Amino acid sequence: MSQARNKQSFSFNIHAQAGDARAGKLTVNETSLETPNLFPVLNFYAGGMERSVYGGGIHRTIKEFMIGADRVGVDPLTQYFDAAMMSVSSLTDYHLSRERYEDYLAVPIKERELFDPFSGLLFTDSGGFKFLNDAEFDGSDFEVEMDQETVYGIQEALGSDIIVNLDHPIAPNDTHSDRIRKAKQTAANIHKFLSVSRDFEGAKYLTLHGYNYSMMDEFLSAVTDEVPEGVLREGFDGIALGSLVPKKDDRGALIKAVTDCRELMDDWGMSDWPLHVLGISSRAIPLLIGLGADTFDSSTHLHNAINGKYSLSLMEQAPKDEVDFSKCDCPVCQSDLLVERMKGNAEYQKDILGPIAMHNLIIQKREVAEIRQRIYEDGTDALVEYFEETFSRDKTMRRFAHDVVNQSLGGYF
Amino acid sequence: MKKAPKVNEVNEFLEIASDFEDPLEVIRESLSNSYDAEADSVDITIRSRPDGSDIIIEDNGHGMNERDLESFFDLGNSRKTDSIGYKGHGTKIFYKSDHIEVTTVHEGTSYRAVMSEPWEKLNNKTLPEYELTKNSVRKGNPGTKIKITNFRSGQGFDAEELTYNKIHHYLKWKTIAGSTSHYFGDQQQEMEITVDLDTEIDETREKLVTTNRFKFPEEQLEPDEGDYPAERMCKHYPAREIDIEYEGGTTTLQIVGMVGGKATRNELPTYGRHSAQFGIWLAKDHIKVERLNEAISHDNEFIHFFFVANCQDIELSANRETIRNKSSSVYQALKEEIGYYISKVTRDPWFKSYLQIRKEGKHRRRSASQQSSLADRRQRVESDGFSATNQTEVLLGLERAVNRNDSLSLSVEDFDPESDVHAIVRQDGRLRNTAVHTHLTGLFEEETPLENTELAVCWEYGDRAELREYERNGYFGGEVSLRLEQGEIQYENSESTFIDVIEVKPLMDSNPRKMANGQIVHSDMTD
Repeated sequence: MSQARNKQSFSFNIHAQAGDARAGKLTVNETSLETPNLFPVLNFYAGGMERSVYGGGIHRTIKEFMIGADRVGVDPLTQYFDAAMMSVSSLTDYHLSRERYEDYLAVPIKERELFDPFSGLLFTDSGGFKFLNDAEFDGSDFEVEMDQETVYGIQEALGSDIIVNLDHPIAPNDTHSDRIRKAKQTAANIHKFLSVSRDFEGAKYLTLHGYNYSMMDEFLSAVTDEVPEGVLREGFDGIALGSLVPKKDDRGALIKAVTDCRELMDDWGMSDWPLHVLGISSRAIPLLIGLGADTFDSSTHLHNAINGKYSLSLMEQAPKDEVDFSKCDCPVCQSDLLVERMKGNAEYQKDILGPIAMHNLIIQKREVAEIRQRIYEDGTDALVEYFEETFSRDKTMRRFAHDVVNQSLGGYF
Repeated sequence: MKKAPKVNEVNEFLEIASDFEDPLEVIRESLSNSYDAEADSVDITIRSRPDGSDIIIEDNGHGMNERDLESFFDLGNSRKTDSIGYKGHGTKIFYKSDHIEVTTVHEGTSYRAVMSEPWEKLNNKTLPEYELTKNSVRKGNPGTKIKITNFRSGQGFDAEELTYNKIHHYLKWKTIAGSTSHYFGDQQQEMEITVDLDTEIDETREKLVTTNRFKFPEEQLEPDEGDYPAERMCKHYPAREIDIEYEGGTTTLQIVGMVGGKATRNELPTYGRHSAQFGIWLAKDHIKVERLNEAISHDNEFIHFFFVANCQDIELSANRETIRNKSSSVYQALKEEIGYYISKVTRDPWFKSYLQIRKEGKHRRRSASQQSSLADRRQRVESDGFSATNQTEVLLGLERAVNRNDSLSLSVEDFDPESDVHAIVRQDGRLRNTAVHTHLTGLFEEETPLENTELAVCWEYGDRAELREYERNGYFGGEVSLRLEQGEIQYENSESTFIDVIEVKPLMDSNPRKMANGQIVHSDMTD
């Protein structure tokens, strides 16, 4: 299997390290992203037409902030959209007609005039998590069978910068033979993926599944039974650690998985590859960065907004009805129009909750930038101090924070 | 008309003197006074007397002036504002004696104050007075000597109970002798403290000499060889000063401590159970007051920890045993901060490895004990052959008997020792509900209903007399008839239940026999 791909379209450089945490720059197709960084989940296409920014309720409002639509009355908030995560599977959530589906794929996202203000890195997930617990990934609404070839076709048509192979994530209750079967299914997809994506201009991430070193090692062994190790190393640019969504609130499991993943990457000669952690809760961001994750995607900003939660910080939320919006200096909370909406004075839920989701995202992105900055400072003290400030009052999280400080940042004593 | 409330002075003195629960508080109070007088040596002598003790406390501090002496004898008139003794209650415990004599030299004046029969007078409702004389002396040689004659020691200060060990522990846990102030770089004056008990009280040593500095045992981060590899492990957690903001102000937490195994802890002057002495101590003036073991999450045994968390903003009860401003926001913030600090210690990789090494030691000891118990069991097997001592072995014996005897058609199909009816046994092709016991008496001892039991399998019948008692007295209102010769029990309670009985031991014994070399062989193997 030869790889004719142009490696020039991708680079990843580490510029600073604090313990295991690292800061650097990821460049794909001349678009650069400071790492560590967060890819907020965003459905660019959600059933609607161009005049409704392709729809999606809260997603639509977020897109309006991204492009600076008149409806939200602010300039494009481009700086918070230096990266975005779109899942192929989101297309199957909106009962699209064949025609609408084809219309969506006709022009790459970043080439649409509507999305012109968006110039961030676009990561397109394969939608494999729909297979979790052996569920179906069903494209019958638009008369498409969702296999590796189709998924790649969609990823390419969307104009993605970073893509992953179609995978079969594991579930916590899977038996050993379930996991082996899924690894083999994923391995077959990887084989296909490398073949069909030969000319892809962008970065390709290999999905990795497992909760500990042995599981991940077994997974990679199953993959290399299908695809020679050299081809794998040549064909991929990064690792996307998956299957952690069911464990996203189990911090101990998350720490174990990311730590073991980094060790595995070292042992398999992939230590200079970027590591993306798929589908995390935003509260885990500092822990993941501390352990050496480079990027991650999250939809917590949306989920919190839907549950009426307004972020005070990465760790703290308040019910939206109890918030003093004037205490926040973000562009959303500084807009009288948007504050009125957040207070509930709007006809549609998306207009009430959308600005809250945008505010939540801004808080997250700012916090990630703050952590990144601390990695650039000499030694680990600045980052350890961040952990102290962030977790000292959080009794459930702090022991995990201590573990990360001890394990990756030199410890307290 | 305004009226001032009255105080009954005699009763107050009586009350306060009686109130101090632990007479060792005399020593605590005196040591703090000596420290405040900048003494660098204090001698405490205790002599046993038929009705109490004589106590002499002598220091070389700067002595007391007239006003200080007044404070010494007055109630609630202390010259201190914050430190130990500021309530002016402590020294009043001396009133429980026959005679108090204070001699002190302060800035060229010598004072002598004598009070006779204070306790008797108080009990006779008379306020005792003291006679004060003063003389000029040459400057130099200042100091104070307090002599209490026939102190009514009460419990805890009895000659029988008072030992050097007990006093040493008290000094280090409850008084300025256990101060951790020096860990924080304070210019703490070092004070040598000597305690001399007469030989009637404790003859184990001549004197106890210590200082006013608490020292943690030497650090040892690595385990030892042997069965208890972690018991001498010890890690120091250096002094940290943490500023705390709380609603209404700021305060400072000064925390220092160690984690260590039992042998390490025993290097400290412990007295009695470690569980009463270790953990997280809250302190004021660096003198430990009360523990806050809740600061350690429940999955970590507090006994391994010895931390002193000092804060000058805690307020103490009169006897200094408890903190009284626990509902204040400063206390709450302090508690939070200590909890946070300790959470770091409990996640410290060294602490985790210490716990792991303890576990490994336990594991090794278990392995050693396994070896010796296995040796016993193997020896028993070699000498006695197979003998069932639990339900599973009864069934193993049954299966073995069946294998040796073609005429038996029995097989165990299901076994759940937790159920009332333990097993399902196939006998001659039929499934039978089966109770399994080492002795048949177990069938009744467990008090389970018998109505659904068809078969009872036991290793031996057991005590026949006990079985006959069930026959005589009945079982849960029903009648029991033992027909063991026919291998049957009848239980009659509104309806009749017949339970077949299989005694396994004779079934096995009937075939195998023991060779001269002790080996058990089956009869048909030799026939």
